[in-house]
Amino acid sequence: MIIEIIIAMGSVLAFGVSFHIPKSEYLYCAINGGLGWAVYRLCMNCSFGAAASSLWAALVLTLAARILSAVRKMPSTVFLIAGIFSLVPGSGIYYTSYYLIMNELPQSLAKGIDTFKIAGTIVLGIVFGLALPQNWFNYLGRITEQRHAGKEENRDGT
Amino acid sequence: MLESKKILDLSVSMGEELLKNGAEIYRVQETVEHVMQAYGAEDYNVFVLTNGIFATVNENREDAGSMVRNVPIGTVNLEKIAALNQLSREICQGTCSVREANERLEQCRKSSVLPKRILIPACGVGSAGFCYLLGGKPFDSLFSFFLGMLLQWFLLAAEERHVSKFLTDILGSAMVTIGGLVLYVIGLGIQFDRVIIGGIILLMPGVALVTAIRDLFNGDYLSGGIRLMDALLTGMCIAIGVGAAIKAFQLMGGGMLPL
Repeated sequence: MIIEIIIAMGSVLAFGVSFHIPKSEYLYCAINGGLGWAVYRLCMNCSFGAAASSLWAALVLTLAARILSAVRKMPSTVFLIAGIFSLVPGSGIYYTSYYLIMNELPQSLAKGIDTFKIAGTIVLGIVFGLALPQNWFNYLGRITEQRHAGKEENRDGT
Repeated sequence: MLESKKILDLSVSMGEELLKNGAEIYRVQETVEHVMQAYGAEDYNVFVLTNGIFATVNENREDAGSMVRNVPIGTVNLEKIAALNQLSREICQGTCSVREANERLEQCRKSSVLPKRILIPACGVGSAGFCYLLGGKPFDSLFSFFLGMLLQWFLLAAEERHVSKFLTDILGSAMVTIGGLVLYVIGLGIQFDRVIIGGIILLMPGVALVTAIRDLFNGDYLSGGIRLMDALLTGMCIAIGVGAAIKAFQLMGGGMLPL
């Protein structure tokens, strides 16, 4: 499990490089990616099912991304895009088309619906995470600001 | 009071650069508005779509200006978004003159992307990692690593030659699938499905999906819809590429290959 999380951090970071994450944020993006995967695995172990696990993982990821963006004064997209990569249902798309080609239509349909379900729950997770008011996160940003003493007001943390 | 035209040009150019590098609609809109306001434009309107910006400024004055920019959907570059965000924040605090801002914008536009020798191995590492996470063995990851590198190399080459995005997606996923199947057929004893899934992860429309949701959630339904359609079509293209490659292999083997 711990090895898996470390590998997830590494892979998320590796793909983050392809999207040109700012160099100062490499560590935080990796942490966010690892966090997403950890939540996902934890939920899977409690037999939540892939869809529900993706929902929780996406929710936690989004909240973490917003907290990080407030603290680090970066657009939250930076952390969100990197983190969400570990959840995208890549295997679903593959198996859907594989079974379709193999003429195993019921299985293909089941996989296809599964893939849509997972994509949908990731969407829901992000939407729930974004629904919390921005002030709460700005407040967090201000706390860390006070520690760094006298930095500028946070115009938009998102 | 500055000339309207200069303000308009700077703010819209910043918006264009943000949009091109994959920022959400509301961020582009807010940036353009904040910059205009910071430089003293009193009366402005900005309308942003996924692939265009429309803006007018100081409509009631002599030097009224309007601007339209067509912005094709480009590749995501989060570093530029972060840099422009910082620039706009400084402009709002009044610590950055128009000239200075223009210079920094130009600098940001020119700032080079990472060289291939970093991008290609990075993608390989990512593919290998996801192959392992999605149930592959370390031995499978090794081949995913090479397929991921192959894919990134192909994507970069296609981008240079301006091949259409859909064609790139179909060919890229087909290439990875063929690679995985060839390795399997020559008897390396790999789990070819895991290897292929790891290899095609880079093509997955995760970023488009996230941006689409954020746009929709902010009430930019049209732009969100455009991105969502982009994500769905990309997913379909991957499925087509994978499917076509497997089918071709089946036909070549006369149905004898134990796929």
